[in-house]
Amino acid sequence: MDMETDIPLPDELEWLESNALLDQEPDLDFYPPFEEEEEEDHLPEPSAKIPENQTSKKRPRSNDDDYDASSPKGSDEKRSRKSPEAEPDEDWLRYSPPAAAENSALDPVIDAGPADEVVAPVAVEEKVLSRFASEIDGECISVTGPGGDRVYAKMSRWEMENDGKRLHVERPLNGLLSEPINVLIERVEQEAFTKTLQVSSEAVSESVHSNIPAASEQLWVDKYAPNSFTELLSDEQTNREVLLWLKQWDSCVFGSQIRATTDDVLFSLRRHSSIAQHQKFADGKSYFSMNRSTSLGSQFSRQSNGFSQGDGSLKGISESRNKKSPGNNPPEQKVLLLCGPPGLGKTTLAHVAAKHCGYRAMEINASDDRSSSTIESKILDVVQMNSVMADGKPKCLVIDEIDGALGEGKGAVEAILKLVAADKKSLIGKESNAQEAKPGKLSSRKGPKASTLSRPVICICNDLFAPALRPLRQVAKVHTFVQPTVSRVVNRLKYICNKEGFKASAIALTALAEFTECDIRSCLNTLQFLNKKKETLNTLEVGSQVVGRKDISKSVYDVWKEVFQKRKAKRERKSTSGSNSSATDFDFLYSLISNRYGDSELTMVGIHENFLQLHYHDPMMQKTVMCLNNLGVSDSLVQYMMRTQQMSLIVYQPSIMIAIRSLIAQVEKPNIEWPKSFHRYRATLMEKKDILKLWHNKISPSISRHLSVESFVECSVSQLLHILSPPTLRPVALHLLSEREKDDLAQLVDTMVSYSITYKNLKFEPQPSMQRHEEASDAPVLSFDPPIGDFVNYKGYHSGHSGLSLAMKQVLVHEVEKQRIMQESIGRLGILNDGSNSEGQPFLRGESTTELSIKSKAMTASVQSYTVNLKSTSGLKENGSKNLAAPCGLKLKGPGEAKKASSGSSSFFDRFRKSSKKGSQNDNDHLQQPATVERDSRPFLFKFNEGFTNAVKRPVRIRELLL
Amino acid sequence: MLWVDKYRPKTLDKMIVHQEIAMNLKKLVSEHDCPHLLFYGPPGAGKKTLIMALLKQMFGPGAEKVKIENKIWKVDVSFCSHVSSFYWLIFQIGLAGTRTLDLELTTLSSTHHVELNPSDAGFQDRYIVQEIIKEMAKSRPIDTKGKKGFKVLVLNEVDKLSREAQHSLRRTMEKYSASCRLILCCNSSSKVTEAVRSRCLNVRVNAPTEEQIIRVLEFIGKKEGLSLPTGLGSRIAAQSNRSLRRAILSFETCRVQQYPFTENQAVPPMDWEQYVSEIAIDIVQEQSPKRLFLVRGKLYELLVNCIPPEIVLKKLLSELLKKLDSELKHEVCHWAAYYEHRMRMGQKAIFHIEAFVAKFMSIYKQFLIETFG
Repeated sequence: MDMETDIPLPDELEWLESNALLDQEPDLDFYPPFEEEEEEDHLPEPSAKIPENQTSKKRPRSNDDDYDASSPKGSDEKRSRKSPEAEPDEDWLRYSPPAAAENSALDPVIDAGPADEVVAPVAVEEKVLSRFASEIDGECISVTGPGGDRVYAKMSRWEMENDGKRLHVERPLNGLLSEPINVLIERVEQEAFTKTLQVSSEAVSESVHSNIPAASEQLWVDKYAPNSFTELLSDEQTNREVLLWLKQWDSCVFGSQIRATTDDVLFSLRRHSSIAQHQKFADGKSYFSMNRSTSLGSQFSRQSNGFSQGDGSLKGISESRNKKSPGNNPPEQKVLLLCGPPGLGKTTLAHVAAKHCGYRAMEINASDDRSSSTIESKILDVVQMNSVMADGKPKCLVIDEIDGALGEGKGAVEAILKLVAADKKSLIGKESNAQEAKPGKLSSRKGPKASTLSRPVICICNDLFAPALRPLRQVAKVHTFVQPTVSRVVNRLKYICNKEGFKASAIALTALAEFTECDIRSCLNTLQFLNKKKETLNTLEVGSQVVGRKDISKSVYDVWKEVFQKRKAKRERKSTSGSNSSATDFDFLYSLISNRYGDSELTMVGIHENFLQLHYHDPMMQKTVMCLNNLGVSDSLVQYMMRTQQMSLIVYQPSIMIAIRSLIAQVEKPNIEWPKSFHRYRATLMEKKDILKLWHNKISPSISRHLSVESFVECSVSQLLHILSPPTLRPVALHLLSEREKDDLAQLVDTMVSYSITYKNLKFEPQPSMQRHEEASDAPVLSFDPPIGDFVNYKGYHSGHSGLSLAMKQVLVHEVEKQRIMQESIGRLGILNDGSNSEGQPFLRGESTTELSIKSKAMTASVQSYTVNLKSTSGLKENGSKNLAAPCGLKLKGPGEAKKASSGSSSFFDRFRKSSKKGSQNDNDHLQQPATVERDSRPFLFKFNEGFTNAVKRPVRIRELLL
Repeated sequence: MLWVDKYRPKTLDKMIVHQEIAMNLKKLVSEHDCPHLLFYGPPGAGKKTLIMALLKQMFGPGAEKVKIENKIWKVDVSFCSHVSSFYWLIFQIGLAGTRTLDLELTTLSSTHHVELNPSDAGFQDRYIVQEIIKEMAKSRPIDTKGKKGFKVLVLNEVDKLSREAQHSLRRTMEKYSASCRLILCCNSSSKVTEAVRSRCLNVRVNAPTEEQIIRVLEFIGKKEGLSLPTGLGSRIAAQSNRSLRRAILSFETCRVQQYPFTENQAVPPMDWEQYVSEIAIDIVQEQSPKRLFLVRGKLYELLVNCIPPEIVLKKLLSELLKKLDSELKHEVCHWAAYYEHRMRMGQKAIFHIEAFVAKFMSIYKQFLIETFG
C-alpha cells in the first residue's frame, strides 16, 4: 500500500486527526481494513481504540440487516475500498459525512453504544481536538503524530461516567504513559526507518560517486593492451611467424596484386628481427631487388631449417616465388593454432596481427554457443562472406579457447577440419605443384567452392595436447608461445607503473613477473589492485601477497619436462641466493607434481623411459644407478600402497621425482616421448599369457597338469620347437619314407596331437596384384597354431630353429587333423562299446573289405595321381606302425575344390567298377558285389578329381576312411 | 606324446628319482594317516609327478580319470570385507551391502580329488579360498566306508597366493580336515606363511642330481631302444640345470636332430638363455646409459615372452659372473640379491632388473678403470 511509505502531510494529518474520532466507529464497522490503514499511517488514535472496536464489532454487523438502506452504501464502500489507494483521502472525504449521518441515525437503535460513538457527534460541536491544550476545556490527552505534531484531545466525560468498564480497559493503556506504548513503539520504529532511509540514500549517492571514477578507469590490462604490432610483448619470433602467415593470405584475400604483399616482403619479414623494419615492408613496398632476394631467400631457407614448422610454408613460398605469379594461394596450412599458458598474449597477438594486416578479427570464444551447427554457420559466415560493414575489411576468424571445447564444442574443431579437408581436395585438383602431403591425388577440379576456406582462421588454446585438438594439430600450423623474457615484461610493467604513478622497484616487479611466470595479465591486475589499495609492491611478500597463484593445469609432459630440464634463470639465482631458491624450487616442483597424484605411476614410467636419452654427464654410471634406485623405491612404494591401502603414502612420490631431477636435470631441452614400451610390454605379456592359457586348456589334463603356463617358456618351448621340426624328416611323399622315418613321423604327429598343436594358415594374401608379383606369396604360409614359435622370437636374436618345409607342414596339418578325428571317434566308440576289448574293431570289420578294394583300385588306377591311402584297420594292425601316406601336394580342403569334375568322378567310377570286377583279388567277391551295387545306388557326397587328388566318397564314416 | 609324459612314472613304486620320498608317501597312505601335504621344490623336480602317483596310490586308477571343468563361481561378497584394492573401493562406492563376484576357475576333478590353481584369480584369490575351497572341502564324499572318507584338494602354486588368501586357507585346513586333505604344491616354501606350513607335512622335492638325471635318461633310452653315449648323457644332464623335464626334452631333441648319437653331439640350448648371454655380452662390452637403453629393449623382449623376471635376473647374473673377475663376484652377487628383493617388493620388474644392470655397469667400469687406468 502506498500509504505505508507516504508520510502524510501535516495539514492532512491534522485533518485526519480531527476526523479520526468522528469517523472512527462507522469506518471500523464497515471496513475494518481502514483500521489497518490508519495504523500504517501511524495515527495513534485508532490503535489505541482497537480493543473497543473489537468488542463492538459484532454488534453493528448483526444490525446490518436491520437497515437495508445502509447496505448499498456499505457495498459501495466496500467497492471503494478496493478502489486505488491513491485516493484514500477521497474516501475519507466522501464517506465520512454519511458515516457520521449514519451514526447519528443509528444512535437510537444502539442501546449501549460505545462511548466514542456517542462522543463523535458531540465532538463535532465542541472543540475536542486541538493543537493547544488551552483550547480544550476540561481534561485532555495529548496525542503526538508521527511528524512530532502534538495535539490535545478532549477527554470525554461521558465516557467515564457511562461506561466505566470501558474506561477501565482504557485507562491502563493511556494512563500510566503519557502516550500509549504502541505509539511509542511506532515512533521508535518510524525514527529508525527514516534514519536508515536517510543513510541508504546517502550511501546511494556515495556509491554513485565512487562508481563514476571506477567506470572511467579501465582495467590496466585493457588500458595498456598493445594496439600495434610493435607493442606486442610476446616473443618476436612467434609474432613474426604469425604475421607472416597472415600476410600469406594477402594474395588470396585481397586479390589485387597491388595490395598483395610481395614475396620479397615476406622474406624480409622472416629475415629481419626488427619489428619496426618489417612494419615498413608490410606496407607493400618492395625493399629488395629481385636478384638480391633470391640469394637472401636461399640464405634464409638455410637459417630457418631449424624451425620445424616453418619448413613447409617456406617451401611453399619459395615455390610460388619461382612461379612469379602468386595467384590466389593461401598458405599451406589454413589454420593457425596458437598455444601457450594463459596470460602471455595469445589473444592479443591474434587480434593485433589481424588488425595489422587489415582484417577485422571476429572472435568466437568459450562464452559463445559452440554447438556444431551454429559454429559451422558462423565460420562459414566469417570465412566466405564479404563484410558488408562500412569499413569493408575482410574478416579473420579468431577462435579462442578452442581446447576447452569438449563434447558439443568439438563442433568447432570438426567444422574447421571439414573446411580444411574440402580445401585440400580442391587445391590438389587445382595445383599440381602444391606441396601436399596427402598421397591420394584427386584430380577433380570441381572442388566444392562453397566450402573452401578463404579467410585466415586462428585458433587459440592453452593445452596443445588436449584430446579435442588432436586432429586439428595435424592440419594446422602450430605455434607454441614461450614465456617472454622477464626483463621484457618488467620493462613493460615499469612503463605502465610510471604512467600510472605507481611506485614499484624493478626488483619487486621482477619478482612479481617471475612469480606469475610472466603472465602479464596477472601482473597488471595485481599492480592495479595494489595501486587501488595504495600499497606498494613488496618483494618478499609477492608470494604471500595478493597475487593469486594461477591454477595452471599442467600436463604430464610439463611434469616430465620440469624433471628433465633445469631452468637457466633458476640456476643463476641459485648461485646468488643459495639454499633459499632451491627450497622454493623444491616447493614449486612438489606442488607441480603433486597436482598430478593420479598419474604418479605414469609419471614414473615416463621418467624411466626417457631419462636414458638425456645427455647428463655420468662416466661411472653412478647417476644412472641412483636414478634407477629411486625409481625402484617409488615402485615398491606404489606396491606397498596398493597392498596396504595406505594411500596417504602417495605424498612421498613427488620427492622421489625431485631427487631424480637433482641428478639428471639438464639445461638443454629434453626430447620427451610418451612412454609406450611399458604399456606395450604389459599388453603383450597379457596377450601371450592368454594364448598359453588357452592352449593349456586344450591339452588333455594328464599332460597339461604337469605343464605350468609360467615355466613353459622358461624350460620347454625351445626343445619343443626342435622336436616339432625334426631336420631329419624329408619332404617327400609319404610312401617313399623309410620305415624308421614313418615311425618318426607317426610319433611327431602323435606329439602334435597330444599337445594340440597344429599348423595354421597365417598369412593369406588376397591381393591379386601381389600374386602377380611373386608366385611364392600365393602359397600359404603355415605356422604353429598356438603360435609357440613366437615365444623364442626375440628382437635381434636369430634362433636356431629351422622350420619344416611347406610341403611337410601341409602333410603334418593333414595328418594331425586325421589323427585327431580318429582319436575323437575312438573315444566315442570306446564310450559306446564300453569295455569291449578292442575298440571299434567289430564295428569296422563289416566294411573293411570294401575299403580294401577301394584302396587297391585307387592305387592301380592312378599311378601318377596322388591318392589318399585309405587304410583299413586291419592294415594298421598288421603293420603295427602307422603307415601314413599322404601326398605332399595335398591341398587343404576348401569349399571351392569340390565344385568341378563331376565328370571325372563318374569316369573314375566306371573304371573303378570295371577294375573291381576284373581284378578280384578279394577272396570275398560275394560280399563285394552287393556292396558295390549298394554303394552305387547311394548319392555321392564327395567328388573326385581325377589325376590329382584323393577322394572317392560315398556315405561312409570319416572314421572308416581314416583307419 | 613327448617322452616327458610318456615315461612319467605313474605309481610311487616306479619312481626313479625321489624313491625315498615315494616310499614314505606310500607308507603314509598304507597307514591311512595322510596329513595335509606341502610339496615344494624347484620346477622340473617332480612334485606333480609325485602328487599324481600319490593320488593313484590312495584312490587307485579312479584318480586318473579326470575331467576339466571351467566353471564360473558366483561369490557373494559383503561390501566391507572385500576391499582388497584401492580400485575396488572406487568401483564399489556406489553399491552398498553385498555384491556378487564372478570368478572363473578351471578345475581338474576326478571322483576323489580336485585340482585347482587358486592363484589364477589374481587378487581375488582369497574368495576362491574362502568360498570355493571351503565349499569343496565341506562336502564329504559319499562312499564313506570308513576308510577313504575324505577327498583331496590339490592346490597348485600356493606360493603365489596372496597373504590374505593364505590366512583364509589355514582355517579351512583345520576345520575341514576330517573330510578333506589338502595337497599344496609350490616352488618356494618361503612364500607360504608359517601358519600354513606348520599345518602340513612338508615334503621337500629336491632337484634331481645329475646322476639321477643320467639314470633317468638311460632308462628312457633303454625303453626307446636307443644307445645313449655316456658323454652325451652327462652333458645333457649338466646343461639341464638339474631340471628333469628339461633334460628329457633335450634328450628327445637330440634324438630328433640326429639319431645315431655321437659322443660330442651338440645339445641345443634354450633360446632365452642364449638371448640372456647376448645381453650379458652387451653389458660387458660397453657401460653407458645408451647401452643400458639397448639392454632395456632386450630385457623387455624376454619379459614379454612370459619369462619370469626373477629367472631373467638369475640367469643374467650367472652369465655375468662367468665373465667377471673373481674379486667382483661377491659384490655383484650381493647387488643381484638386493635388486631381486626389491623386485619382489615392487611390481615393475623392469625397473629393478635395469637397476641391477646399471649397478653392474657402474661396478664393472670402476673396476676396469682401476685396473687398466
